[in-house]
Amino acid sequence: MPVELVGLMAAGGETGVRCAAPLLELAEAGIGRDAARIGAAQSAVRQALSEAALIDAAAVIGGFDAITRVADATGTPLEPEKAARSVDMRATLGIDAFDAERARLG
Amino acid sequence: MREDLATAITEAWNAIGRAGTWLTGAERVQVAAETRAAPDCRLCAARAAAVSPYGIDGAHDRATDLPEAWIEAIHRIRTDSGRLTARWLDRVRRGGFDETHYVELVSITVIVTGIDTFRRTAGLAPLPLPEVVPGRPTMALPRGAAPSAAWVCHLAPRDVGPDDPPLYADRAGAHIHRALSLVPRSMMHFWDLFERMYLPQAAMREFDREFRAIDHAQIEMLAARVAALNHCTY
Repeated sequence: MPVELVGLMAAGGETGVRCAAPLLELAEAGIGRDAARIGAAQSAVRQALSEAALIDAAAVIGGFDAITRVADATGTPLEPEKAARSVDMRATLGIDAFDAERARLG
Repeated sequence: MREDLATAITEAWNAIGRAGTWLTGAERVQVAAETRAAPDCRLCAARAAAVSPYGIDGAHDRATDLPEAWIEAIHRIRTDSGRLTARWLDRVRRGGFDETHYVELVSITVIVTGIDTFRRTAGLAPLPLPEVVPGRPTMALPRGAAPSAAWVCHLAPRDVGPDDPPLYADRAGAHIHRALSLVPRSMMHFWDLFERMYLPQAAMREFDREFRAIDHAQIEMLAARVAALNHCTY
């Protein structure tokens, strides 16, 4: 299945993934702390998928809210071979801008 | 909720209250409390809104009496992890704590963050802070730990000795696996939870079968979006 990478990076982006819109809204709401937005996002995921999907999506969101901090708090670099394989993808997604910002901050 | 997920969360949460490798149970629960306080800290909010967080000084709104360097570490990891730098960590460590303690602190901060985010996103109330269990830290430093390409030392798979726990069982030893390996029990504490929230390594590329109520593509889409929201480049 083709996935639109750029759609992953911005709210409302097209991704080609099934039921992407309510799931991505759940991620945005969950990382934020607006209770009303979270409640609406939960309802949308229940309606589009299921209660079990809401739980499993929330678990992925929580898990990655944690593991991204593991990487960033320990300065864990991407393996050279993975970095080489992902050059084009990282450029498409604009991920390199995050590294550039860190370099600017010193 | 899946039984394996509920069990993993309960075990990870309760383990915070027990003595770790370098921190007591009381200290670990204080780290958990401080992690929860960080999103309401006015200094952290000002820094998060600034072009650079490093030009804004001040005092954190703290919930505990942990040392100032610990407070700075917990608050920044919780509120602005995507803009942490090696120079920041050097400064924090000069403020008074060992690399081993820092790694254990990271593990608790991220576990609390992950579980709290999960429960908030799923519509569940936050768990009460774990009970403190009396006990002494083991202070077990892995003999094979060595400087790495990251900011902290690692215990690489080839350097695991007979006295170390099986921290790489069913794990390939990617850089992200190694990130907390200086404190093997903390590494296992995190990964035993994370693999139930996401997927065990063997299931990640088993595309003929789905293990969750959302499929592989949906899982990876969510992972990528959260990484982008947190400005994580790994």
